[in-house]
Amino acid sequence: MAIAREPFADRFYRGLLRILPFDFRSEFGDDMEETFREQRAARARRGSAALLRMWWATIADIVRMAPREHVSVLAQDTRYALRMMRQNRAYTLAAVTILGLGIGANTSIFSVVNSVLLKPLPYTDGDGLMVIRQHGAKAGVDDMRFSVAEVNDYRRQNRTLSGLVEYHGMTFTLLGGQEPHRVRTGVVSANFFDLFGVKPLLGRTFQPDEEKPGAPPVLILSYEFWKTVERGDPKIIGRKYQMNDRVHVVIGVLPPIPQYPNENDVYMTTTSCPSRSSAGFIANRKSRMMSVFGRLKPGATAEQARADLAVVAKRMEQDNPDTYTSALGYGVSAAELRGELTHNARPVLLVLLGAAAFVLLIACANVANLILARMARREKELIIRTAMGAGSGRLLRQLLTESLIMALLAAGVGLGFAYLSLELLTKFAGEFTPRAREIAIDGWVLLFAVACASATTVVCGSLAALYARGNVARGLKENGNQAAPAARRSLVRSALIAAQVAFSYVLLVGAGLMVHSLIELQKVDPGFVPQRVFAVGFDLNWSKYREDSQYQSFSNRLLEKVRSQPGVLSAAVSSNYPMDPDLRGSFAVGLQVEGDARPASELPPVKSLRFATPDYFKTLGIPQVTGRTFLDSDGADSPPVAVINRALANRVWSREDPVGKRISLDGRNWFKIVGVVGDVKEFGPSHDTPYQVYGAIAQNPMYAGTLLVRTAGDPAAMTGLVRRALLDLDPETAIAHVETLEQARADSVSSPKIATRLFGLFAVLALVIAAVGIGSMLALWVRQRMREIGIRMALGARPADILHTVVRQGMVLVLVGLACGIGGALALTRLMQTLLFAVKPTDAATFAAATVLLPGAALLACYVPARRAARIDPQVALRCE
Amino acid sequence: MAESQGPLTAAMFNVMLALADGEKHGYAILKEVEEHTAGEVQLSTGTLYGIVKRLLAEGLIAEVRRRPAIENDDQRRRYYRLTDSGRQMAVAEAERMEKLIARARGKRLLKAFKPV
Repeated sequence: MAIAREPFADRFYRGLLRILPFDFRSEFGDDMEETFREQRAARARRGSAALLRMWWATIADIVRMAPREHVSVLAQDTRYALRMMRQNRAYTLAAVTILGLGIGANTSIFSVVNSVLLKPLPYTDGDGLMVIRQHGAKAGVDDMRFSVAEVNDYRRQNRTLSGLVEYHGMTFTLLGGQEPHRVRTGVVSANFFDLFGVKPLLGRTFQPDEEKPGAPPVLILSYEFWKTVERGDPKIIGRKYQMNDRVHVVIGVLPPIPQYPNENDVYMTTTSCPSRSSAGFIANRKSRMMSVFGRLKPGATAEQARADLAVVAKRMEQDNPDTYTSALGYGVSAAELRGELTHNARPVLLVLLGAAAFVLLIACANVANLILARMARREKELIIRTAMGAGSGRLLRQLLTESLIMALLAAGVGLGFAYLSLELLTKFAGEFTPRAREIAIDGWVLLFAVACASATTVVCGSLAALYARGNVARGLKENGNQAAPAARRSLVRSALIAAQVAFSYVLLVGAGLMVHSLIELQKVDPGFVPQRVFAVGFDLNWSKYREDSQYQSFSNRLLEKVRSQPGVLSAAVSSNYPMDPDLRGSFAVGLQVEGDARPASELPPVKSLRFATPDYFKTLGIPQVTGRTFLDSDGADSPPVAVINRALANRVWSREDPVGKRISLDGRNWFKIVGVVGDVKEFGPSHDTPYQVYGAIAQNPMYAGTLLVRTAGDPAAMTGLVRRALLDLDPETAIAHVETLEQARADSVSSPKIATRLFGLFAVLALVIAAVGIGSMLALWVRQRMREIGIRMALGARPADILHTVVRQGMVLVLVGLACGIGGALALTRLMQTLLFAVKPTDAATFAAATVLLPGAALLACYVPARRAARIDPQVALRCE
Repeated sequence: MAESQGPLTAAMFNVMLALADGEKHGYAILKEVEEHTAGEVQLSTGTLYGIVKRLLAEGLIAEVRRRPAIENDDQRRRYYRLTDSGRQMAVAEAERMEKLIARARGKRLLKAFKPV
């Protein structure tokens, strides 16, 4: 009899049944099809309307019942999984801890990546904000800032920006509180906050009238200043402060957002700043101090804005050939603010996220192995369940449910981890980006943790199922009792171990490179002796100090007073000091040499200018190379003198003696070089030594801003005394910060230090997880071969032979993993290039160290189960089978 | 494992009633329910097997291992019967309904005896 082709209706019905859970289908599917066939035949006899009604009811009912049936299977699986997890507490704890660490590392780093790199800027339509810069390419100046005339030219002549605002930072002394406050002040255009789209938390922002000449001064407070200094006083609006000899009224408080370009305590308009509003400053096109920001007009692109601004620049160049000389190489650039805020943080964060992902991969491989190991012990149960009709799909589902529950628990652990590390990470990210304060655990971070958990589930569950498929059928055929480990499972597990080793190796090399780089950084000679020196930054209330002589007399009295303190070896007053946190900014001015025929573009830009008293070099331990340093006789009435550093001397006067030459930084004031001193790493050990010029502070007394003291003993013990001496001399002096130079030096490498610690932590985690993984796999291997080992020992194998066999088992995998790891590390570490200082990504010493350390740890992990195997008593081993 | 998932629904009671006078396979149950309710209750296969699964899980019905005479049987058919606890449950349900009907009559919501 020929088999008739199955009618479409039946095939359709069978297809419909597929939306029901596998269990339900395998239980009732055939019966349902049969029943349906009879029902359909009966209805067809009653006419097509009845048939149609039946189809409708059938489809609707199955669609309706499918979700309920799925939930009921899930609930059943969950109950079962929880019961299994309760029964295997140690296993569950291990798996959840390992996955939790992996997910935690990722979630923590992701919370930073999310807030810093992914979230939109907290400004309204932040993508349209641009940073505009002028540069002098030929003079080597990246950012020469703007003068008032330049700001006005760009504001009036551009066609692509809907607004253009200026900013510069000042430090003023605020009176009116209990103690004088040195406040970081942002001096801005009236529409600055409107352009950024910042809405005040209290009060209002500036109005155009408040930037007109003669307008009464008003202030906006930053959120932090309002919170800490004014204790969040809700009635702050209208508060009056004395500043720069004028009364300033508070009109608003900013919300807690990252302040750009700098963190400030207060903001004022340009007309309230004494320097910015002075007629001389406004008139001079070369007096540059402001930064400029713009917002793109709707529809305008960054590219159009750049072309537009270049046209304005060209016009300015033509109109003012004296200002924009050919030697300057003048130009203008515009960059998107978003990129500017985060480009420093991007490489380090992405490298750390990559490292964290590796930790998670290792954790997954490890837990998959744990699952496999446990399945070996559950073999009997699984075989029985298969025999009783549980399909392989059903088993897969059960395994996935188990892994999912575990992964969700681990995600909880991971989120806890991320929450605890938030403060540390915020501090860390603060070294790279003002967006650090936005770091928080939000919905995206939660989603990420759950996504990590789900990915983990899929990886672990699928790996386990890979084994289940191949093995259960075989297990059924064998008696399931002494079933030798299936070749496939053994291969999967071996591959997992090798993968863990490979990933750990890559992380170890990465961490090793960071450590090596940090060591190199700390070996860098800063050019001065930071031990037992401290710096006190101070600001005199300038409204009382109008004359140079007043500053000079203050400096003299201060030094006299400090030097008389017991324990003070030497003291100096200067404008600032090496590795001063306030120093981080780009300063560069073109150098001019009297009688030098070379074009200006061949002379290097001076990137550090400091004014100091004669004892500055002695106090900091900066060596004198030739000539002399400053003398007490270099005063206001004697010819201006300068000391330069060795780098500048070599660059400009490679064969000649620079002493006696005359130089200028502005073309008006000329200094005679009297000596050369050693190079100092002014901006931290990872930065190049700048070309540096020192001037005598007695000839420029208004620059006095730092007191430097070298002590015989612990400098920390002296700071209080010195602080008091300063306030005794003038109680209206604002003390900005007190820090030892060792601290300043440590801070200059604090971000690589934290990055190294994080990376190192990840690598150690990876190493421990991998080593534990190898150890536990071998332990299982030994347990499964008790009988075999027993027989071999009964036949005369010595314990040492057994030890070797077991260790060899593990170490072969380790070596395979190591080989893959070396390849992986060579390929991946070059991504770390930007994070490394004086260390190549293929640094042989680091690779060698990791190549010794990893197998060493693995050997130790192998030794523990191997020793246990070697101690097996053959009689006991044989009897217990 | 018998676990109760709430009260009997009308459809469930109908299925149990269909099985009260002997074991039946799926389509036979559908047919009887439809005939006895004069076409008012028409179960779809999905609903029927949803109910079967639940009744099986609660131990109210059971699958019959012993099949009817071979000439009446189809290989794929599965037969179900009411278990003792199923029968008790059905009786209890019928009695509960009987009491309800009596009360409805007492309130004159229904006419007195009307032969079925």
